[in-house]
Amino acid sequence: MMPPPQRWVHRLMVFLFPAGTDTWIAVLRIGLGLQVVVYALFLSSDWHDLFSSTGKGLVSRQLGEGITAFDSPLIPKLGWLVALGSSVNIREETVLSVAWAGLLCMGFFLWLGLFCRSAAVLAWFLHLCAAESGGLLAYGADNFMTIGLFYLMFSPLPDRYSLDHRLVKTKPKNPQLLGFWRRVLQLHLCLVYFFGGLAKCLGSGWWDGTNLWRSLTRPPFDIISPDVLIRFKYVLPGLGISICLIELGYIVFIWMKKTRLVWLVGILAMHVAIGLTMGMYLFALIMIILNLAAFGPDFGSVPFAYRQRFRPVFTKQLSR
Amino acid sequence: MILKRFCATWFGAHFFLITAVCFSGVFSLIAEGTTILPSALDKYARKAELVAAWLLGKQAGASSPLRRGIATYLHAAGIQAGYTFFAPNIPGYHKLNFELYYEDGRVEYETPHVHGKAAALRLASLLDRLAETPYEPSREVVAKMLALSVWRSHPDAKRIRAVFGSVTAPSIPDFEHGKGESFQPMFSYDFSLREDESQQTIP
Repeated sequence: MMPPPQRWVHRLMVFLFPAGTDTWIAVLRIGLGLQVVVYALFLSSDWHDLFSSTGKGLVSRQLGEGITAFDSPLIPKLGWLVALGSSVNIREETVLSVAWAGLLCMGFFLWLGLFCRSAAVLAWFLHLCAAESGGLLAYGADNFMTIGLFYLMFSPLPDRYSLDHRLVKTKPKNPQLLGFWRRVLQLHLCLVYFFGGLAKCLGSGWWDGTNLWRSLTRPPFDIISPDVLIRFKYVLPGLGISICLIELGYIVFIWMKKTRLVWLVGILAMHVAIGLTMGMYLFALIMIILNLAAFGPDFGSVPFAYRQRFRPVFTKQLSR
Repeated sequence: MILKRFCATWFGAHFFLITAVCFSGVFSLIAEGTTILPSALDKYARKAELVAAWLLGKQAGASSPLRRGIATYLHAAGIQAGYTFFAPNIPGYHKLNFELYYEDGRVEYETPHVHGKAAALRLASLLDRLAETPYEPSREVVAKMLALSVWRSHPDAKRIRAVFGSVTAPSIPDFEHGKGESFQPMFSYDFSLREDESQQTIP
């Protein structure tokens, strides 16, 4: 029998490296491909305004990059690409357009599963450059896109649903490594919701519906008219408390077989609602993708598993 | 086995950093006194926030390789910020209005604008950050750049006054009684475009 410390380490390793399939990577890859495409298309009309240098855009790209460089000059930024372009006499506008087109292409490549690893690395790099150069203009969706692309580029690619796998028959990936990267994503999401829920629970406004009212009526999230919203004023406290409980309880109930489906559906419904009622489509989409990749593919087999379980019983009953 | 050990070590370091960032964010909220927790906890939360900042290498010198290394990794992995979105409470939002003065005495009113909804979200995020920034010159620089973006579509304007303020939205009972939102100016800046000089005025 192993002494306790070794036993704990063994248990931890078993937990961290469960044997898994690559279905979740396919979900993550296709989802992130879609996310990157939508991100690029949504920002297409404002891309140059957001990332041009001083005097050409909305806010100077150099300002955002300067603030980022205060943290570390090694953080990737669009300024690197612009400098590279200017060294071969390519104008800033052209470099920015190429970066946008590159990001869009990488999104399509990820979607199709073509050159998966290179596409994941390039998509991560280009998106990170944009997110960091527009640091002042970035918000939560950018962080979650970086997180997703960061995990994707280190995950065992390509998956069996990708074009890469169909064109060049690749060897099956190590199931434990597949399980490990999924665990990383699962645990990260647990921390995201736990701390998000905890911070919300500490605010009085989430218990009486005030915060939901404020978040749904403040521009640019005011898609629903306050006149319509006021009719549901008695529902708002309940919804606010539900959001706190769903987020805070995620870290526990998503792991329990009996509550996993309920919690996953609850959290997905919450993100769909955020997208539709607040117009935060990019944020909603990335959170849905990360949740489906982390905890989703298991459920694909649930109806099948139930059929398998009950078929002999039904067969017996019918044969009597 | 070596790969598994390497992965497990990376996992430990990665999640240690995520947890430190998250705790730092929560302690910061408590220290600011914006939560329902008793104010007696504020000073302890401030100390805890400093401990979390120390764990993230933020107490080291700006040029410290450790600080830079950790910061680079945090940004590369997208884990540099906590997850306290819309928490603990949702304050009012912020507006930046421009008054454009022309040679002939005309005055026009403008706001910084973008084309798409996705960029509008980013602009709102920028304005909220502008209110929070403790460093006054950076606020002025951002206001000046936004003024410049408006001036490009109104090149005849002689002077631009930027008025930045917070908007308090009505609560549910106030809204039911017909009360609208109220604007409280926080800062204003006068930008003289032709002479390329700026002057801050206090409202």
